Amino acid sequence: MKQKLTNILSTQHFGKPVYSASLAVFRIVFGLMLLFSTIRFWAKGWIEDLYINPKFFFSYYGFEWVKPLGDYTYILFIVCGISALLFALGLFYRIASVLLFLSFTYIELMDKTNYLNHYYFVTLVLFLMIWLPANANLSLDSLRKPKLSKRFVPLWTVGSIRLMMGTVYVFAGLAKLNSDWLIEAMPLRLWLPANNDMPLIGPLFNHVWVAYFFSWFGALYDLTIAFFLLNKKTRPYAYATVVVFHLMTALLFPIGVFPYVMMVSALVFFDTKDVDKLLQKIKTIFRALPVNSVYNNYTFAPIQQRLVSTLFVIFFAIQFIMPWRYLLNKEELFWTEEGFRFSWRVMLVEKMGYAQFVVKDGTTGEKIAVNNNEFLTRNQERMMAIQPDFILQYAHHLHDYYQQRGIQQPEVYATVYVAMNGRRSRLYADTTVDLAKQADTWKHKNWILAFNDNIYGL
Amino acid sequence: MQLMKKWYLTAGILMVALTTISISCKKNNDSPSDNGMDRKPMLENYASNYIVPAYADMVQQLSTLKTSIEAFTGNPDATTQAAAQAAWRNAYITWQKVDLLEFGPAYDKSLRTYMNIYPVTISKVEGNVSSGNYDLETFGSKDAQGFPALDYLLNGTTLDKYTTEPLAANRKQYLLAVIEKMLQKTTEVRNEWNDYKTAFISNTGTDAGSSLSQMVNNYVLYYERYFRGGKIGLPVGAMSGVARIDLTEAYYTQELTKELALKAMNSVINFYSGKSYDGASTGESMKSYLAAIGTKDDKGTLIADLITQEMNEALTSIQNLDGTLQNSIQNNRTAVLNTYEQIQEVVPLLKVDMVSAFSISITYTDNDGD
Repeated sequence: MKQKLTNILSTQHFGKPVYSASLAVFRIVFGLMLLFSTIRFWAKGWIEDLYINPKFFFSYYGFEWVKPLGDYTYILFIVCGISALLFALGLFYRIASVLLFLSFTYIELMDKTNYLNHYYFVTLVLFLMIWLPANANLSLDSLRKPKLSKRFVPLWTVGSIRLMMGTVYVFAGLAKLNSDWLIEAMPLRLWLPANNDMPLIGPLFNHVWVAYFFSWFGALYDLTIAFFLLNKKTRPYAYATVVVFHLMTALLFPIGVFPYVMMVSALVFFDTKDVDKLLQKIKTIFRALPVNSVYNNYTFAPIQQRLVSTLFVIFFAIQFIMPWRYLLNKEELFWTEEGFRFSWRVMLVEKMGYAQFVVKDGTTGEKIAVNNNEFLTRNQERMMAIQPDFILQYAHHLHDYYQQRGIQQPEVYATVYVAMNGRRSRLYADTTVDLAKQADTWKHKNWILAFNDNIYGL
Repeated sequence: MQLMKKWYLTAGILMVALTTISISCKKNNDSPSDNGMDRKPMLENYASNYIVPAYADMVQQLSTLKTSIEAFTGNPDATTQAAAQAAWRNAYITWQKVDLLEFGPAYDKSLRTYMNIYPVTISKVEGNVSSGNYDLETFGSKDAQGFPALDYLLNGTTLDKYTTEPLAANRKQYLLAVIEKMLQKTTEVRNEWNDYKTAFISNTGTDAGSSLSQMVNNYVLYYERYFRGGKIGLPVGAMSGVARIDLTEAYYTQELTKELALKAMNSVINFYSGKSYDGASTGESMKSYLAAIGTKDDKGTLIADLITQEMNEALTSIQNLDGTLQNSIQNNRTAVLNTYEQIQEVVPLLKVDMVSAFSISITYTDNDGD
């Protein structure tokens, strides 16, 4: 086994030297993207809106200890921004990459209301980047310590980033192979007409066939694009498709920087040799650029290589398993959302809910209708009303709050209506269940009412 | 490797095929792009055929009311009082067709807070009357003016308070100030709509600032909080469990309360289905737009039609209540609670189903439940 692993990582296989230029360019564009994203987040006032103003935060299972830091939350974002800049510059790369990973992940863990697949993607990529010699070229580190400067890195380093990208795309594509998406053209059938006042192409969205076309094309794109990007012959067309596709989604949907993250990240698929050539050419113009022009290899120490490769194998094994964990539950995934996150189910379902909570005094029977906005922001309320783990966490919070206010043995009941993918809204949670007594586990929550419909496929 | 190539080829062919299909479909499809999904005609219909005439009528009604109040204060006797009461009643009924339009200029002016916040706080009104020193512009005065204050002053106050009582002059002054403020605010909103109309119609997007989003949000908010909650829920104690007839609308004219609720429910239905203000014609509406999007329940009924159905059932349920609303609450609370449930049925349909199909979101902040 050990022998095999060493073999696979040999210079004939995954250890084959490729130009470090690709990894370096990826480091720069990814770092700049995150710097931009952090500044944008701040400039839009979202730090205050999302992490300082709310009175309550929805935490991830097992990460209840991660909370916003009050006004110090700004410092967290400063750390994130500065480390993103250092990361891009390749200055103190190892420290910067660790700090960037930690600060970015901490920010994401503060409130799961703000969960976005592309933030999760960034977290995963940053985790990989910690272990890679991405500062071997075109970095200030290589100026600082010329010994660090290497023209070649093992193939698996660039390869792991490509594999990460491919994982996102393929699973996003697999997730679309269901009857709602392919047969009903849902939810695009609802989302596209909302954009029918766009110049030129707007009127097209009034036609159902356009929703079908987008649905099928989207699924096909996600499933195959990584392979077309890998192939030398198809790559230029594939990359052009990437740009057009993501620009289109940026135009149609409020998904922030995600399309741009994917557009720049896909650059990592280009032939490392071509990237190196480009850098050499640029160097003839900007001579001060720390571009490596000598033939030297970055080599991991054997123990280091074994450690990192084992880590990566475990990492990707988890990545490949995570999206399937929903199979453990019999209920419809889109309805219960048990196993929905961390699975690249991107812009997949139109879901809206409305939740009215009532707190009942266990001894007097007195009822209080809860005003959600006393506790939650509009956005938190919206997310809460469609996701059972949110509903539970909120119910427990209400229990604790009203108990402190002198309500005896508070019982928490909720009337929740959810509409999904154009179906009529229906009662989502059992109105007779005291939610404060229910625990959030990884098992199916029995108080979620049946979906009473079938969505076929994955 | 061979397999890979095949895979690319298949995928490539599929892509080309799909593109071809789409292009040929496009050529075959010569029908105009408007298949009921364009939002501009809907906004146009709402603005031109409902909203603008609504404010014009409201201003008209309030002017008439002002004239009769002036006649009353000039010569307070039973005849002028009855005339003022009748004009008040007409204007209040008209208001039920206008109250649901609290978006755009009405939202900016907070028109409702000058027109219909109830119950009226009598101590505030009396305090203002006796001191003669008040500012109706302030938010704190919202429960001392508008139709509820007029209700108290015209229907809940005996004639002698305007004739022999020492504060009669102050009281007349206050009465005039209240109607003057209502007329002024409504006139401002009417005038602003003349300018705003074009912007309203051309803002055809679906983002939070779009006309559709603002209109739907405030329409649903009205239905949930001011209609369901204010008119029925709070008085019957649907949530609190305690009936409070002192919270009813038109408390001093109890035979009117149910009629107001009926008028309001009718307006909710008419506005949803795109009826013109005078009821003579029907145009593009939330209903027709929703029908064009085509969401259905599991039996194949359009959600658009379901909403009308449920709304009509709510209307019938109010109609079927015996006597005044206050009587029903006191003597047959269960029936009113059932009516409340029927009204409530519409809430998820509007707030979840319709909003979701429109790809907009609810942006208003919920007030207390009821």
